[in-house]
Amino acid sequence: MTLPLLLASVAACHRVRISDLANLAKVIGEFLTLSLFSFGGGNTLLAEYHHLSVEQFCWLTNSQFADLYALAEAAPGPSSMIVGLLGLGAGWPEGPFWALISAYGAEVAILLPSTLVMVVACLSWRRLEHSPWRIAFERGLGPITLGILFAVGLKILRTADVTRAGQLSLPGVVVSIVVCVLMLRTRISPLWFMACAGVLGGLGLINR
Amino acid sequence: MKTGSCRPIPTLCMTDSPQTPTHRQLFVGMLQVALSAFGGGLSAWSQRIVVEQRRWMSNEQFLTGLTVARLFPGPNQINMAVYIGASFLGLSGALVSLAGMVLVPFTLLMGLGVLYFSVHELPAIDRVLAGVVAAAAGMALSMGFKILDQYLKDPVALLLAALVFGALAFGHLRLVPVILVSGPIAMAWYWPRRGRQGS
Repeated sequence: MTLPLLLASVAACHRVRISDLANLAKVIGEFLTLSLFSFGGGNTLLAEYHHLSVEQFCWLTNSQFADLYALAEAAPGPSSMIVGLLGLGAGWPEGPFWALISAYGAEVAILLPSTLVMVVACLSWRRLEHSPWRIAFERGLGPITLGILFAVGLKILRTADVTRAGQLSLPGVVVSIVVCVLMLRTRISPLWFMACAGVLGGLGLINR
Repeated sequence: MKTGSCRPIPTLCMTDSPQTPTHRQLFVGMLQVALSAFGGGLSAWSQRIVVEQRRWMSNEQFLTGLTVARLFPGPNQINMAVYIGASFLGLSGALVSLAGMVLVPFTLLMGLGVLYFSVHELPAIDRVLAGVVAAAAGMALSMGFKILDQYLKDPVALLLAALVFGALAFGHLRLVPVILVSGPIAMAWYWPRRGRQGS
């Protein structure tokens, strides 16, 4: 990274240090709240994660966020574990110890509230199942999830397929759209798409 | 068991469960699901191990669990693990199940994360990642289209989705207030009424 760019990013955004306990409490509070709003699976929160870690707390650059999203998608296990990676990024300048504490802390914060709700839901499902609240909730949630997922898709596209100067990378957009169509039309494992695109990138065909 | 009373005793939600796992068995079972699903297909593995191999639940009970897991906040597969644990052993079962499900993949991911932060500034790595990221963005873009079909015949659903999309993507509003406003409106519209059950 060139020096002017580095200076620009420092000037634009003040990095929030999580080794300061007041900051840490604020960050944990944000994740605890988001946990209760992660309807429609974990991926609906991706744009919020970007907002927190890139724009509000300034732990990561745009491209780092995109990298971590790809890493979480490629690795085995639920992709919502990206929160652990964000925590890792938040604590990284403070050293590996803080980074890991922060990573596990972030993951616990994002999972704990939804887990408690889920336990209550399981134990009271017999009463909830035929309640009009449950039916309205389930039907109403669908269209909202649909809107959120499109917004998340666009946000990730705008995060991933841009050059460091902030301009849209045309080859990147083309690859994204091709992968999107293949995801919908075929049952090929997405790992293959990432591997092929990685080769294209390594050859210098996709720049950022 | 009386209807509607669910207390933290074994088989609290599943009155006719064939087998009641212990904490240790829950942990091992979920660990097995997580390890089996390393190539993908977490949901299918979960069903195979919980229903077919270990016979903790009937298929019907498992599908009810999936419905509950999708309905409430949280990642679906993690919620499913919580549901399975809570069904048998309440809160402690849920936590044990959750730990079994995420411990190995999460630790692995943290290893990858540490590796990433150590090497990502190398130009060769960055070039490869520029490509991988474009593919991952394509996956993210496909999520909305995947569930679009089921709403195509419901203009109100499409309008709601469009408003939520516009508020988030172009209005730059945050997710929590958008859900707090759009949620009650959507629930009021979809409140079960006679004569409009089909929607």
